[in-house]
Amino acid sequence: MIKVHNLNKIYGKGPTAVHALKDINLEIRTGEFIAIMGRSGSGKSTLLHLLGLLDAPTSGEIYIDNQNVLKLTAEEQAKFRLNRLGYVFQEFSLISELTLLENVYIPAICLGRENHFKQRATAILETVGLGPRIRHYPHEVSGGEQQRAAIARALINSPGILFADEPTANLDATSSRIILDLFKKLNQESGQTIVMVTHEPEDEKYVDRVIWLKDGMIEHK
Amino acid sequence: MGNLKLAFFLAYKAILKGSRWTLALIILVMSLSFANLILTPSIMSGVTQAINKEQINTLFGHIIIDPPEGSLFLNDTGQILQKISGEAAIAGVAPHINSTAMFEYIPGNTSLKEEKTGNWNVIGIDPEKETRVTTIAQSMISGSYLEPGDTDKIVLGVEIAGGEQAESKDFLTLGGVKIGDSITLVFPTGTERQYKVKGIFKARGGNANNLAFVNRPELASALNLPSDQDATSQILIRLHNSSQEQQVISKLGTLLTGPQVRSWSDYGGGIGNIVSSFGVVASLIGGIGLLVAGVVMFIVIYINVANRRRQIGILRAIGINRKVVMGSYLLQALLYGISGIIIGGLIFGYIIKPIFDSHPIDLPIGLVSLAIEPGNIRNAVIGLIFASVLAGIFPVLNITRHSIIRAIWGN
Repeated sequence: MIKVHNLNKIYGKGPTAVHALKDINLEIRTGEFIAIMGRSGSGKSTLLHLLGLLDAPTSGEIYIDNQNVLKLTAEEQAKFRLNRLGYVFQEFSLISELTLLENVYIPAICLGRENHFKQRATAILETVGLGPRIRHYPHEVSGGEQQRAAIARALINSPGILFADEPTANLDATSSRIILDLFKKLNQESGQTIVMVTHEPEDEKYVDRVIWLKDGMIEHK
Repeated sequence: MGNLKLAFFLAYKAILKGSRWTLALIILVMSLSFANLILTPSIMSGVTQAINKEQINTLFGHIIIDPPEGSLFLNDTGQILQKISGEAAIAGVAPHINSTAMFEYIPGNTSLKEEKTGNWNVIGIDPEKETRVTTIAQSMISGSYLEPGDTDKIVLGVEIAGGEQAESKDFLTLGGVKIGDSITLVFPTGTERQYKVKGIFKARGGNANNLAFVNRPELASALNLPSDQDATSQILIRLHNSSQEQQVISKLGTLLTGPQVRSWSDYGGGIGNIVSSFGVVASLIGGIGLLVAGVVMFIVIYINVANRRRQIGILRAIGINRKVVMGSYLLQALLYGISGIIIGGLIFGYIIKPIFDSHPIDLPIGLVSLAIEPGNIRNAVIGLIFASVLAGIFPVLNITRHSIIRAIWGN
């Protein structure tokens, strides 16, 4: 479960400061598939970054499974991200010098069970339909396939929560549907909590709940 | 262990699959920097060695036997020479009688007939013995060297003789003495002797060119030294191998009671300061070279790392420890540094050094080649590794210092 109390994020200082998030309070239950939606500049990506420990808030508290994760040191947060969280970015998030297989299993090398995770990475890549592509480099596959490889990487350490920042923004309709179907399947079959930022209204049908943001505040509809 | 393995893995893949041109450029910069780091001190060491060599060849030999404390002369020179003759390391010995004299010269071919005078050192030598110790005999620019029977003959350094080949201003020399001219020497004893100029020499070691040589018995007579005294002011010794210098000095020290046995370097006071100055200059230039190399490496590596900023952010976002990311770039920097050392060393050893060996720099102090000293190589290796580590680690440190989002999106 994710709990957020009075979360604020201000970029910059003085008269040019931008209050990106204002006193956000929310709860996301374990196993929920959540979409964060809103207009451009509403603060949805900022909220996702803060929830995913990619950035620090100006004030407020974030609890994941009752642990105040903002109290963790940078090193502890890295370990937390490695073990408990998964990320899918908008685009170009694979390491260009690594094959799809290597991209997927590098987070697992840190855990010291490379061979086990190589097999697991192969299996996950097959699950996302990239079995024949595991030895390819990112530039050798399509954007949709790159994004599916990024999802496979996010799943390698079996994270409890998956964060996705506009994962279909640069994909065609077919590829977008494949990705969202994959998320839905993961959510339903593995009980994975998924928090996804999107601006596509049609994505609503895939999720359990939508958190609407407007001008850095939650808008209750 | 997993972290170290991942750092190695990321470094390996970055080098293997990264831009070949970037890799080649970085290693080229490292190689040339390394070659430059060795080249500068090697030239300086070469200059130092050339100065030292000329000092040994023209003035001192390797070892000097001086009179006992308080005495002006070594007596019974023959006995001393006999005592040390059994030492296998000695290639030659040259007894010297040193004196000063006022030189007078009346030019015969000028209308003014103006007398030229000056005070210089004159050394009494045994010509045959001398050629086994010093190289003055090989530096004659006109006339010939002394022979054992010469009594009224003198050999002049070019800075005494003067003329076109002298470096000194005309008024500081005898103004252009020619072979066969007569000059008069007035010794401190008041004795006045006339000599015919038999030869003029120009040695590379500039100091020797202010000396004049006559035969030793002739000078002994001019200084009123009794012939049975067999006196000398100094005995110069040349060794087969200069590395045996200290060993021979201590051996002679025990063999000869009374006379003082010294290294040539004990006499190199003024020159020693010049040589030390070269060392300081070499260190300064080396330091600046290292700084420039470090800055160039920093710029090249910084651009390389800056282009991977987003990847660094993504690695951190997926939970890869900051230390792993830094470790992978540190390993890359070390590889660049080590490659630079190896390739730079090969460039230096197989291209630069042979060029200098076959075409040494012709300087007034001597022919200067590159003198590679282990200390200089060690300093260059340490310096380059240190510079490459700093140049490699700072850009990554800078990027990983910022938030992950800033690294990924660059804002």
